[in-house]
Amino acid sequence: MVSAMRLTLIETNSYMTNLLEIKNLNVEFDTDEGRILAVNNLFLSLKEGEVLGIVGESGSGKSVTAKSIMQLNPGNTHYKSGGEIIIDDENVLKFDSTKDLKKIRGGKVSMIFQEPMASFAPAIKIGHQMVEQLLLHKSIDKKEAKNISIDMLNRVGISDAEKRFNQYAFELSGGMRQRAMIAMALSTMPKLLLADEPTTALDVTIQAQVLDLIKSIVKEYQMGVIFITHDLGVIAQTADYVAVMYLGCVVESGPVREIIKNPKHPYTIGLLEALPDVNNLDAPLKPVPGNIPSPLERPSGCVFHTRCNLYEEGKCNIEFPELKNYSDDHQVACLKVSTYEQ
Amino acid sequence: MEISSKQKEAYFTATQMQLVTTRFFANRAAMIAGSILLFMIVISLFSGFLSPYDPTIAGRDKEYENGSPQIPIFWDHNGFSFRPFLHSKTKYRGADTNFRWVYKVDTENRRYITFFPKGWEYKYFAYNINLPGKNLDFRIPGLTFDRHLFGIDSGGIHLFGTDKAGKDLFSRTLNAIYISLAVGTLGVFISFVLSLIIGGIAGYYGGWIDGLCQMFTDAVRTIPPIPLFMCLAAFAPDTWSSELRFFFIATLLGFIGWPTLARRVRTHLLTERSQEYILAAKLCGASSTHIIIRHLLPSFTSYIIVDLVISFPYMLLSETALSFIGLGLREPVNSLGVLLQSATKADVLLNYQWYFLPVLFLIILILSFVFVGDGLRDAADPHRNK
Amino acid sequence: MNNNLITVKNVSVEFNYQENVFSKKQKIQAVKNVNLNIKKGSFVGLVGESGSGKTTLGRAILAANHISSGQVIFHDEKNDYDLANISKKDLKDYRKKAQLIFQDPYAALSPRMTVRDIIAEPLEVMKLTSSREETDERVRSIASKCRLNLEHLRRYPHAFSGGQRQRISIARALVSSPQFIVADESVAALDVSIQADILNLLKALQTDLNLTYLFISHDLSVVAHTCDEVAVMYLGRIVEQAPTRELFSNPKHPYTKALLSSIPSIDPDKQNKAIELKGEIPSSMNPPSGCVFHTRCQYVNENCKKTVPQLEKLNGSDHQASCLRINEI
Repeated sequence: MVSAMRLTLIETNSYMTNLLEIKNLNVEFDTDEGRILAVNNLFLSLKEGEVLGIVGESGSGKSVTAKSIMQLNPGNTHYKSGGEIIIDDENVLKFDSTKDLKKIRGGKVSMIFQEPMASFAPAIKIGHQMVEQLLLHKSIDKKEAKNISIDMLNRVGISDAEKRFNQYAFELSGGMRQRAMIAMALSTMPKLLLADEPTTALDVTIQAQVLDLIKSIVKEYQMGVIFITHDLGVIAQTADYVAVMYLGCVVESGPVREIIKNPKHPYTIGLLEALPDVNNLDAPLKPVPGNIPSPLERPSGCVFHTRCNLYEEGKCNIEFPELKNYSDDHQVACLKVSTYEQ
Repeated sequence: MEISSKQKEAYFTATQMQLVTTRFFANRAAMIAGSILLFMIVISLFSGFLSPYDPTIAGRDKEYENGSPQIPIFWDHNGFSFRPFLHSKTKYRGADTNFRWVYKVDTENRRYITFFPKGWEYKYFAYNINLPGKNLDFRIPGLTFDRHLFGIDSGGIHLFGTDKAGKDLFSRTLNAIYISLAVGTLGVFISFVLSLIIGGIAGYYGGWIDGLCQMFTDAVRTIPPIPLFMCLAAFAPDTWSSELRFFFIATLLGFIGWPTLARRVRTHLLTERSQEYILAAKLCGASSTHIIIRHLLPSFTSYIIVDLVISFPYMLLSETALSFIGLGLREPVNSLGVLLQSATKADVLLNYQWYFLPVLFLIILILSFVFVGDGLRDAADPHRNK
Repeated sequence: MNNNLITVKNVSVEFNYQENVFSKKQKIQAVKNVNLNIKKGSFVGLVGESGSGKTTLGRAILAANHISSGQVIFHDEKNDYDLANISKKDLKDYRKKAQLIFQDPYAALSPRMTVRDIIAEPLEVMKLTSSREETDERVRSIASKCRLNLEHLRRYPHAFSGGQRQRISIARALVSSPQFIVADESVAALDVSIQADILNLLKALQTDLNLTYLFISHDLSVVAHTCDEVAVMYLGRIVEQAPTRELFSNPKHPYTKALLSSIPSIDPDKQNKAIELKGEIPSSMNPPSGCVFHTRCQYVNENCKKTVPQLEKLNGSDHQASCLRINEI
């Protein structure tokens, strides 16, 4: 993942163009209490075969970003003009008709959610739903769709796939349901998979299996995956790149190794220090001081300044830090961290 | 949008009730409906004062039967007048009208509207109940007034026209609103008490008691209401006074309407009972009484108020329907249903269209209840906050 | 045994389940034959996945669930009482001494009461204070210990974030000066940065108020950092129990090994290979015969399917595990 600024350089050099590019995304919600800014000036990109992890706590805007790609946000959402979400050379934000959106939803992009029951209609058999989804996006007949679906169920590690094909969602256990949801999402061979907290609700032993599954799928199909979670451990094991979000802004991004071993933004540092690590039982847990501000009370200047130990009066509460290069691939949005440009 | 810290503190220290009322006041549709509703309730309570004529047969105007509405005017070809007035009408029948009675307007003769005249007597809190058989009839003399808002110096003033017998439709409509609301209130009250008891027991104890109450509730609910009403209403002897009949119909409505409310009460209780803060209270050794009073009752007051307001229109409609088919309230008691009954003939449709004016009031009344109920429900619904 | 606050002896908790009036009555074995010693002043962790019975056990220890068989003995200074067989008077006394902190900070506080009333409720119900001033004094003292702003006592729960609400929950649990606290997934619903704050608070309160904790969680990293000793549960049974560092550095039971290997490490260089458990967690209505873990264990042999293993000390140390083949693997 590279910054927008270095985009042109890489494009001319690389063989693969970016699968997904988000430029200048600003998302606002109209609520009774006023307009809430959910995503602020977001730049992201992703190549085929890459896993990008988006990490953040509540209010960070990570889910909203993913849903914006599929235009799944609720009706009171405003995408400010100037923002672009480009998949395969088309700006998804410009799509208005359902026909155009259908190309992305389930076709080029698939999404899996935290709650597997949310994907499956409770009164329709799983197999029927999978076939229905396939028929919507591919011009194949029912029999072929059924074969593809059962094959997919097998590949995600569901034993007795034929039997499961004819079952209802509530007849499967949590882990199996999640795997079935992944099977359904993958059966249309999307180019991009959005995973919104897919393992948060699962037991840790099942989580490990699902993560392994996602990794092998990425390798086999060279899909791009955006993995949203609050769990840095999952990111460390699954993602190639990570973007850390706070209150709608990306505060730090870069390769996973670099960010975890050498974090620069105070929020990222704070998160890592607050995390209990099984391998280091002696380290004390240092919480990040303060509370996450409510979206109605966005701090001025740098959104993190109310909780930051590097806070400088007159600078951090006035100027808004842009995402700048700290090193080759590593970008930070902090006024107190020296970067290439400074 | 800058919110001052004072406003923020006010929000933080606001009780649940205050939050609900604030949200309700912010809902424009609900506020408009609420004001209309309030207006209608007030005019119904003051129906005696506002009606120039007695809505029963005693107040009929023999000179002006089936008369069209008379709107007071301030100006005619003779000039302007501060006092509103009406022209006289004389009955006339002749060959040119096919021997039907029509009214001719005499534009020279003015009759001026009077304000606060004395008129027919109307009573408040006067009850005269004759219970069948026993010597338990009681009478409360009540308060009597005879002032009215407006009248006319001679002849009659009929803002909504009159019916076949000459009864003033305006007075009848006001009185009907009052009666319909009263029957509705009583019916809702009775069904509320019943559903609170049965739904409350079912919801609080759960288990087999719940199962039993549920079976009973469902059994009552599956009885088709219209045949049931018809049977029970037909059972009421004609000798009963109109007040007695009134109480009877209201009680009937209450007894038929409780299952829906009971189910809601039970659901609320079951949900609240399994909330974790109830368990927290139990773990302190709180008694059932404490839990009910301190936790369950307050949590459910807002829901119950919403449910009550929402069930009102059903009561109204049921009473209207019953009276309309002749099984509910009857003449001389007015209710919106009774008034509608006389509007069914083809004659009326063609010639006396003003008979439909009460329908307008019924629609407005029901719609305002529905909007207020919706507004209350939106204001009280906790899901909005999450 | 002398410095135990609570001794759990062979406790089982069963629930009756009947799908509808016409189907057969079935039994759910939520907890089976559990032995646990909770020493005074310790911070005991209880971990397990879904269906492990850890919440049921925690609530049984608080006498919030019925106990089908076995004993839960609370060692008070003056006398011991068995919660499975307790008089109403003793139960009232126990309620003052043992409290629960819930998982969901949003559901655990009544939205209709001010924070001051919420915290004061246990004092009022259990009649621990004689006047309003005394109640207020105690509420203020515990609220400041939990680092709640005293001005916020007038506010209602809707004014607070998840972390703050959890602190209110903790204050409520502590206001009656209990000796024993069960924290049931108390940090699971909180953001990571706030989680650390609450965990530090719990530890600080332990030293300040002489508390004993039973910390129930599915999150092993959290347990590793806060607890002195850990018990691992699977399908209602304790399969391994040891002091924290010993358990995490030297797990013995195959389930514990698989569990620990599944935790994703924050170090991207450490690619842990998770031990895969075949199959799914069995149903508690129909637990497998012999060792309940045998259906998913990689070391299963014929004996495992027949004999029920007991929790045994290894080499005389504090480390206990219930596996028939413990010495071979």
